Formats: sequence, C-alpha cells, structure tokens
Amino acid sequence: MAEKRLQPKNVDLRPDRYDRRIVYEKCGRAKYISHLDLMRAMQRAIKRAKLPIWYTQGFNPHIYIMFPLTLSLGFESKVEVMDFALLEDMPFDEVAKALDAQMPEGMKIVSCGLPIHSHTEITHAEYKIKLAADRLPAECEALFKDFLSKDKIEIEKRTKKKTVNLVDIRPSINVTELKCDDKYLYITVVLPAGGSFNLNANVVIETFLGMYELTADELCIERTKILLADGEDFC
Amino acid sequence: MEEIKNKLDKILLKAMKPARYIGGEIGSVVKDRDKVDVRFAFCFPDTYDVGMSHLGMKILYGLKNQVPNWWCERVFMPELDFETLMRENDIPLYGLESLDPIKVFDFIGFTLQYELSFNNVLQMLDLAGLPVLAKDRTSLTPIVVGGGPCVCNPEPMADFFDLFILGEGEEVNLELLRLYEKMKPEHPTKEQFLREAAKIEGIYVPCFYDVEYNGDGTVKSITPNVPEAKPKIKKRIIADFDKVYYPDSFVVPFSEIVHDRSVVEVLRGCIRGCRFCQAGFIYRPFREKNIDTIKTETKSLCEQTGYEEVSLSSLSTSDHTRINELLLSLSEYTDGENVNLSLPSLRLDSFNEELLERIQAVRKSGLTFAPEAGTQRLRDVINKNITEEEIISTCKMAFEWGYTQVKLYFMLGQPTETDDDVRGIAELADKVLQLYYDTPKEKRGRSVQVSVSAATFVPKPFTPFEFEPQATEEEIMHKQEVLKSAVRSKKVRLSMHFSNTSVLEAVLARGDRRLCKAIYSAWKKGCYMDSWDEHFKYDKWLEAFEENNVDIAFYANRKRSYDEVAPWSHLDYLVSHDFLVRENKKAHLEQTTRNCKEGCSGCGIKPECGGVYCGGKKTST
Repeated sequence: MAEKRLQPKNVDLRPDRYDRRIVYEKCGRAKYISHLDLMRAMQRAIKRAKLPIWYTQGFNPHIYIMFPLTLSLGFESKVEVMDFALLEDMPFDEVAKALDAQMPEGMKIVSCGLPIHSHTEITHAEYKIKLAADRLPAECEALFKDFLSKDKIEIEKRTKKKTVNLVDIRPSINVTELKCDDKYLYITVVLPAGGSFNLNANVVIETFLGMYELTADELCIERTKILLADGEDFC
Repeated sequence: MEEIKNKLDKILLKAMKPARYIGGEIGSVVKDRDKVDVRFAFCFPDTYDVGMSHLGMKILYGLKNQVPNWWCERVFMPELDFETLMRENDIPLYGLESLDPIKVFDFIGFTLQYELSFNNVLQMLDLAGLPVLAKDRTSLTPIVVGGGPCVCNPEPMADFFDLFILGEGEEVNLELLRLYEKMKPEHPTKEQFLREAAKIEGIYVPCFYDVEYNGDGTVKSITPNVPEAKPKIKKRIIADFDKVYYPDSFVVPFSEIVHDRSVVEVLRGCIRGCRFCQAGFIYRPFREKNIDTIKTETKSLCEQTGYEEVSLSSLSTSDHTRINELLLSLSEYTDGENVNLSLPSLRLDSFNEELLERIQAVRKSGLTFAPEAGTQRLRDVINKNITEEEIISTCKMAFEWGYTQVKLYFMLGQPTETDDDVRGIAELADKVLQLYYDTPKEKRGRSVQVSVSAATFVPKPFTPFEFEPQATEEEIMHKQEVLKSAVRSKKVRLSMHFSNTSVLEAVLARGDRRLCKAIYSAWKKGCYMDSWDEHFKYDKWLEAFEENNVDIAFYANRKRSYDEVAPWSHLDYLVSHDFLVRENKKAHLEQTTRNCKEGCSGCGIKPECGGVYCGGKKTST
C-alpha cells in the first residue's frame, strides 16, 4: 500500500509532447476575464475540445498551459499568445478549429503553430489607446504633447521591501502615433513588456490624467503587438 | 439591452471581479427576446460566488430553458461596491443573459435557502425598481415567486411574495409557467391568475389565507379566504427520481465560485432522521438514481463544462444502496479523464476501507465528520446514530492511511444538553488526537490537527425539535466557556463564536406573518446581506423588532406545546405531525429511532412518493 501512495498518478503516460502556440483574441465581454480566470477558462476549453492534451508529470497532474504575457483586466487584444503541448501530432488547423468552437463570447482562436521565439525574447508591446476625458479631444492632445515634452516623468513604484521608489518612466514611453477626432484622443504607444521590465499602459494614462487633473469618461486600451528587441513580432 | 451594456462598460472596471456582472459564460442560454413568450428571472438572494454554486438553480435554469419560447435568466445580489455603482449610474437589477432589467420579466423567482438571505429579497426587488410589498405590485407582472427549503415556513416573507412553490420544483414550475402562458393572451388580473395558480398542487398564495391569533400571541387559525385556496397545501415530490430532468450542462463561471465543479445529484431525501435536521425531514422520502443514470450525467457534465472535478451531491452519499459499485464504476471514467471525484456528505458509520481507498485515489485531503454531540447520551437524544467506537475506528483507519487533518462538527444548545455533554466534545477530540499518536510513525503523517467546530443549534419547522426552545445567549456563552476550558491540547483547534445570527435565524425560522413588518423595518434600516459578518447589523434588527412589538424570546426561546397551531400548520410536508411529536417524546426519553433502511418508523410518507424503503417501487438494476 505504501508504494502505491508514492506512485505518481500518470507515470505511464507517454513522454512525447508536441508543442503548440495559439494566438487568440480577447475582446468585448471577455475583457473582464482576469488573468487567473483566463487560465481556468482555457483549461476547461481544452477539456471540452477534447484535445489530446499533455499533462504535467507528477503527483498532481494538471494541464500544462503557459502565457508569455499577462493582459491586464479590461484590455482588449487580438494578438494574445498561449502555449501548450499535445500527446499527438495534431494538425494546426484542427487544433485551432476545435478550440475555437469552445471559446466564450469575445474570444477567438486566430491561429495555431509551432512556438518560434522563447518567452524571454519579448521586450516590448504596442498598445492603441482611445480616450475621452472631461476636456475636448484637441485640448487633451495638446496636453499629451506637453506630457511627452517633459524630461522626466516620475512615478512611485513599490519595491519588494515595501518601500516606495521613484522611477522615471519617460524614457520607456515611445509614442508612435497621436491624433484626435471630435470625440476621442488616439494614442499608439510602445512600452516595455516581458520578464525584465514592464510598464502598464494604464499607469501611463493614469499618470497623464493625474498630472493635468483630468477625469476619463471612456478609456479603451488594446494591445496590438508583442515585440522582440529588434522590433520584430513575437511568434 | 444596449443601454445597460453601455453603462456597464463604463463602470465594470471599477468593481471587484467584474466578470460576475456581465454574463457571457460558457453554458449560459441566450435567446432572441422577440421570440420568447415567458421570461423568468431566477434570483439567488446572495452574491454570484454563492448563488452560482447552487444546484437547484442549475436544474431549474436548464429545465425552463429547454422550452423554446421560455427564457430563464440568472440574477444575483451584487456586492456592495457594485451595488453602489449601479445606483449611482441608474442601472436597475438586470438578467445576466440579456442584460435587460428584470422589472419587465413575467416572473421573478427567488430561492430561499437560508433565513439570513431574506432581506436580500427586499433589497433585490428594490434594486429592480419594484415595490417590495406584494400588495403594491398591482399589475399582473412581474409575478414574484419563492421556493426552496425556507418555504416550508414562508410566513415571515408572506407580504413580499405573490406565491410560494412548495417542495421539489421540476414538475410544478412547468405547470405554473404553462398556466401563465395559457392565460397571458387573455390579460388576466393578478388576482385572476393567482386564483388559477392556487389550484395547482404545491402552489401557496399567502394573500388567500387569513391568520387569527390567540390572546397569548400564538396562532389561533389559518383560513382560506377564496374558494380556490386549499385548507392544506401539499409539497410537491418527484416520485420517479431516476427519470427526473437533470441538466447535461452547467453555466461555467469565469471567476472562482464556492463550488466550482460538476455536481451530480445521486440521491434525494435521507434515511436517517437526525432530529435537529430539517433537510432530513422535508426532503423525504429517500430516492436514488441508478448507477447508469449517474454515470451518464457525470460524463455529460464533465464533457460539456470542461470541469476537472465532479462532486456527488446528496444528504448522505454513502446511503446509496450500491455505493461501492457506484464509486468503482464512476472512477473508471474519472481516472481516465484526470477528473477528481469528490465525495462530500459521507457518513461516519458507513465509512469503510474500500471507500477510503477510493477517496485516497483522488486526493488526500482532510476528513470531516459531524458527530454533532459529544456524548452517546446526547447523540441518542438527537438520533445521530453513531457510536464512539465507530468514530474511533474510522479515525484510526484514516490516520493509518496518512491523513493528518480531522475536522469534527458539533452543535451546542441541543435539547437536554448538560455541561457533561459539552465536556464530552473535548474528550472525544482528545481521543481522536490520541489515535494519531498511537499510529506507528512510519504509517502516520508528519503532523496532526483536530479541528473542533461548535455551532449553535437553531430549532427548525418540520423537525421533531420544532417544539424546542433555542438556548439563550447566556446559556450558549456558558457552554462555550465549559468547552474552552475542557480543551487542553494545542493540536485541537477549537472554532466557535457566538453569533447573534443564530438568534435571528431562530426567530425567522419559526416566525409568523407578524414578522413581515419587522423584516420590512429592518430592511429600511439597512439590514441585508445578513449572512456576511461584515454586513450584519444586530442592533438595527433589535430596533426593528422592538418597534414592531416582536418579542425574540416568544419566537426563539419558548417551549411550544404539541397542540399549538404552528404558523406553518397549513403546509403539508408529508411527514405527519404525530410522527414529529412521537420523535420529540422519544428524544426526551433518550431513545433512538431506526433508519428507513432498518425498517419503517411510520413518518407518514406514502409509498406512492417513490421512496426506496417505503414499500413502493424499488430501484431497478
């Protein structure tokens, strides 16, 4: 009996694994799904899709899935990435189709392929921001230009020791497009993302709004690209 | 409705766990509002996390949505932060599927699972933009209906509901909605509809009854005031339980809920008859599903939801007549699919090695047992028919298998309890602890924890203890002191706190219609979400009781005579009054009653109700 208890449950599973990388959309109602909830939702979708999924080997086998970048609650995206492994060499389009059929409203599988880059190669991400505040869009645009003209934009960042550090985020903000119409201000911005340093688009906007005492009436943020150091798309 | 959706988009990110308020979950049923004739808002008067775990809702949601031109939606009580945002932005309570305000629905149904959720009903009606009193809702719709276990005495809520549904809902809900669908084109008045509805067995329309009181405050009589209202309303029961509707899919939430797993109901009713337990009487008789049915339902639910855990639901899973065969058969499927099989509600006395092995194969968590009382004498009084030897032998086996945590549940304040009985709880915990130390080191786990939890007993209607007084606050405080000083080991963790919520529960559980006014006042004073410690305002409740001349002791601490007219005496839950009286007398004589399996004790349930042990139809292979 004692040996039985020490036996990992799925020890006789085949060790062969076929890695798959999924690109998916998370828009509309689905933007309210938190990252933790998303992991569960994806595991359940994989189960429902009856994919020959690879489980971790051990005492507590669980479905192995990996997300290279978390997407903040409330952000939309059409370029999100999830990795998992299969026990069989199932064709990419079949995997995408089976999983897509199990997606909740607002989520869609865009493509399936082999992972090419490693998660650690991600350095930046691009965001498209749509903002309506309590000033006219043209005025907001002028203010945002003023914001960008600062030499230093310092924000407070809590450290692990629970002290507060001042961090200059200005060098990290790379705005590639700025325009407005009669309703909104549109900002396209590239920000550091990935393992070493992350700057949340929300933090940039909050800092901007705070500096000019603006209140946001509407704010939509979409992640549009996940980038490598050389500016290439992560795939 | 687009309008609500747009408003939600502006506020959702300000709320905690916003995924609870926007719907769109896998398994949720969305229909074309122009193509449905009957719309039903199924309201659970508590938060999403709690309500989404409720099996009854899943069953009735699926059942109603099977009918193409009916649409049942889910509605929950928002958390305080989101409720404030809703009010600030003029968002009325809405259904999660359509995002339409529930005010425009045909039915608003509440399930009353526990007394402390009563005031949430008022709060939700108000949030929907509706008058809370039934008499102020004069148009035909929405018809506000209530069901669930607390409906066995719905009198304290009588003023707020149009009708109550007694007993099991699978058939009567369909009958009620069919009647409505039929009458709707004729544009009946609300009274015309309610009179027709009152003819359906199991439907109780409170305004069709007049209640008179005696000089001493007890109920004198309850009399129907329209010809359609029956003098006694019988609860509904599903006689062929194996064939009853069961959903093949659940709504799978995004955010984590209390019971986040597939649930399969394996049996209904209980053979035991523990005298304090309301569920043990109001859900009688004992009926079970065939193994094949359970297996099919398990497979279907796991496949449709993607859940990796399935739980067997019942009052006492091990009482299934073929429990070992069932578990063996189920685990063939679950093991292969990496699905965890969890078995709550296992009874101590039927716990054998094979069962333990089955659970072991899944997950080595703690064991939880409910001896309910510390001494054999008191266990006999309450008819919890387990002996100390059985508790000991089970725990011994559990420790040998490497379990390290044992939780023991008890109740304080049960009839006839003495200080010796209370000290018996600590003694039993010590004995269990000693078993761990007696277990050879190479077999037992590394550390041990025996948790003792002692709740306060609340007498409930339709139990043999419905006549009993609840122990007063002082008595409970004393008992807790006795218990505290009797526990010596650090390895025994004692958790108990006297909460005034049990007093409120006791008043509401056995209250009459005069409490409606007090509930209304308390709600006006801001009392709701009473089951959440941080929201419970006992002082406001006391004010409300005083203003409405409600004497707590009259309802909670008074010994009731056998021939007193109970506020619920016009409701028939099929267990006879004579049986409850007999059981009460036996309790005071410290005599136990055999369970249904050992032989019938004549509780009054008829064979045609389909009970396995009632001499009617037996379950087939």
